[in-house]
Amino acid sequence: MKLTTKILSVLCLAMGLSFNAHAFPDEDVSIVIPYSPGGGFDRAVRAFAPQFGEHLGADVTVLPRNVPGAGGRRGTTMVYRADPDGYTLGVINLPGFALPRILGEPAEYDLREMSWIGRLEAQTYVLLVSGSSDINSVEDLQALDEITFTATGYGSTVLAATQIVARGLGLQEKDPIYLAGYAGTSDSLVALVRGDGNAAMAPVSSAAKYVESGDLRALAVTGDTSPFAGVPTFAEVGYPELTPLDLQRAIAGPPGMDAELLKTLRDAFNKTVKDPKFLEAAQKARMDVLPLDGEATAKSLEEAFEFYEKFKADLKNPNAL
Amino acid sequence: MFDSIFTAASYLADGMNLLFLMLGVVVGIIFGIIPGLGGATAIALLLPLTFGMQAEQAITLMGGVMGAVTIGGSITAILLNTPGTAPNAATCFDGYPLTRQGKAGVAIGAAVTASSVGGVIGAFILILLLPVAKNIILFFGPPAYFMLALLGLTALTAASSNLLRGLIGACLGLFIGFVGYDDLGGVTRYTGGVDYLWDGLSIVPVLIGLFAIAEMLKLYVVGGSIAKSDDAASVGVSGTFEGIKAAFRHFKVILSGSVIGSVIGTVPGVGGTVASFLSYSFTVQTSKDKGEFGKGDIRGVIAPEASNNAKDGGSLVPTLAFGIPGSAEMALFLGVLVLHGMDPGPMLLLEREFTIFVLILALLAATVASGIIVLLTARYLIKVTYIDSSILIPSVIVVSLVGAYALHNSIGDVFAAAFFGVLGYLMHRFDYPRITLVIALVLGGLMERNYFQTSLMYRGDWSKAFGDTPFVILLGLVVLALLMPVISKAIKHKAGQKA
Repeated sequence: MKLTTKILSVLCLAMGLSFNAHAFPDEDVSIVIPYSPGGGFDRAVRAFAPQFGEHLGADVTVLPRNVPGAGGRRGTTMVYRADPDGYTLGVINLPGFALPRILGEPAEYDLREMSWIGRLEAQTYVLLVSGSSDINSVEDLQALDEITFTATGYGSTVLAATQIVARGLGLQEKDPIYLAGYAGTSDSLVALVRGDGNAAMAPVSSAAKYVESGDLRALAVTGDTSPFAGVPTFAEVGYPELTPLDLQRAIAGPPGMDAELLKTLRDAFNKTVKDPKFLEAAQKARMDVLPLDGEATAKSLEEAFEFYEKFKADLKNPNAL
Repeated sequence: MFDSIFTAASYLADGMNLLFLMLGVVVGIIFGIIPGLGGATAIALLLPLTFGMQAEQAITLMGGVMGAVTIGGSITAILLNTPGTAPNAATCFDGYPLTRQGKAGVAIGAAVTASSVGGVIGAFILILLLPVAKNIILFFGPPAYFMLALLGLTALTAASSNLLRGLIGACLGLFIGFVGYDDLGGVTRYTGGVDYLWDGLSIVPVLIGLFAIAEMLKLYVVGGSIAKSDDAASVGVSGTFEGIKAAFRHFKVILSGSVIGSVIGTVPGVGGTVASFLSYSFTVQTSKDKGEFGKGDIRGVIAPEASNNAKDGGSLVPTLAFGIPGSAEMALFLGVLVLHGMDPGPMLLLEREFTIFVLILALLAATVASGIIVLLTARYLIKVTYIDSSILIPSVIVVSLVGAYALHNSIGDVFAAAFFGVLGYLMHRFDYPRITLVIALVLGGLMERNYFQTSLMYRGDWSKAFGDTPFVILLGLVVLALLMPVISKAIKHKAGQKA
């Protein structure tokens, strides 16, 4: 029995070595999507994968693989624990997947250790009120006595963004209510239209159609420029510390990836995001493509950690029992 | 509007589009029949196929799936006591007893007719609702959701034959529903550190266990085949026509089921399972002679099947008008819409009227087409119930467990199905109703979340909820559902005295 095991393990080792002898990649690469099919992360990877495969090498297919569960933790943990051989990559929600660690909760992975290949998308946030309300500016909102924000559940990026903006605008002192627990951003925006609450934060792409239809009114946006005519950025109304608040989608591999391998992947990434075929697919998938190379993505992650760390005290669950 | 309907109809009648529709229907029926696979899996599988298609073609294909899947699911519910898809769970209660009496043909005929007619009525209700879609969605806030969940629980528990056991079943269901991460309180509950339980138990493996596996355990103990009648062929064929006739004889049940299905369908997050259970309990409560329910009353098949096809129309309202998917199936369908450049939102209904009508008509055509296909094949399908248990039991258990695994590629789901199989068998053995457990499991999360949200938004002052019209209406219905058994008992008592 023991001998067989030994022979087997030697064989396995030999096979492993022979695999290593081949240049990467010589088999299919999978990109783990930690959510169910159909969402924004799924669409982004499906638009990105075919061209990424083309730029990686002749016969390689890049396969999107949905591993939903535990709010994205299941899939991300899977990538974190995978062999750093370049065949398992994942799409990462920033800062979403960094939040558990910042909030001091047990997380099986540390994003800062991962091998960053590049950022695909970035989106700014917008502060919204109901279109039928008489709140027309950030100042009007600050003048209110009772503020109720509609938001998604604890641990979500939208709730964290709401809490940070509430602190930044000095609304935290008014003891606002965070009406959390809506199933998704669309749900929480419809709740705002209905009047369950009187303000909300949302990524620009989720909110745009409601702002255009007049159901919601945008008060201010994060980032350096405003996508809505006549709506100021937070910096313009005097709150520049809120500018870095955003939502990103990036591609990463497991920690400890070989430098040469990482370079191959990063080069393919950089070529893919300039590929007109990808850009066309991205437009169809309604992506907000704002590429950043691997090194810059890793740096941007560090900054995000610092930014959220600053607001750590405000990010506690407002509805903890 | 009528122009759009006619252009949409002629679009669907085109050869290629008709082919896509039929492809959707066939896939839908097959995925519906196999427990565990359902509309969501079918759409996920077909989604990559639509990349090269026009938006309308993709929607025709998906409409075919959605219209057919619950019809396929009703077959397994009736023949094997295993809901093919979650909304078919309520069909088991009377459909399967009919099969055991050798009346599977009657049950299938009635189920399919109710589904098709319900689907047509649902499509018409959807057309009527579209102009006011926005108002309907904005009508329901957290207080109303809470009351709606409470109504579902009350109506079913009050209707159980043994109130105490019904309540115990409901409590068990609520308890199981609490398992997992609660994102309002920010805590995980009853997970025992097991990663699998983080998302809570999903309904499909639980249903597979409670019904399919429990049933096979039961059959193992009894032995023989499911249907007791000896003359297999003759019973099946003549039965289907009898079933169709029965469905039309109880047209009132179809009508109430369809209305309940459409209305509940429009409420995001509640969906077809609740709709069919509510429709079932409504029919039980409003029937004068309720003694046969649970033992093989044909109305118990008609009511849930009419509503779970009518709900497709209703559930499109929140998906199209706000991009809020009411179920996993709708979440995937939302993905299809976005992929084909249709951004769900308040403007979509106006901008893409033609496409929307293609979808509605595809749904309508799919329910009718799949109904016909099932009726034509029913005589062969029924033979399953005459197979000896030594062959049937292992096959069904294998298919069920594979189905449970296929849902999320998770081995945890397989263990969950096995666990609930044993629980389901014990519940049957000691005569506890599974219906209240299932409904509590489905509604528990919704009820709890909206209870907390209501408390939050009214800052703890629940008296403000009485200013919310739908809350008050639903509260009235809850009280009515509670008093119903008392009232009907009193009336019977009086009638008895007179006689």
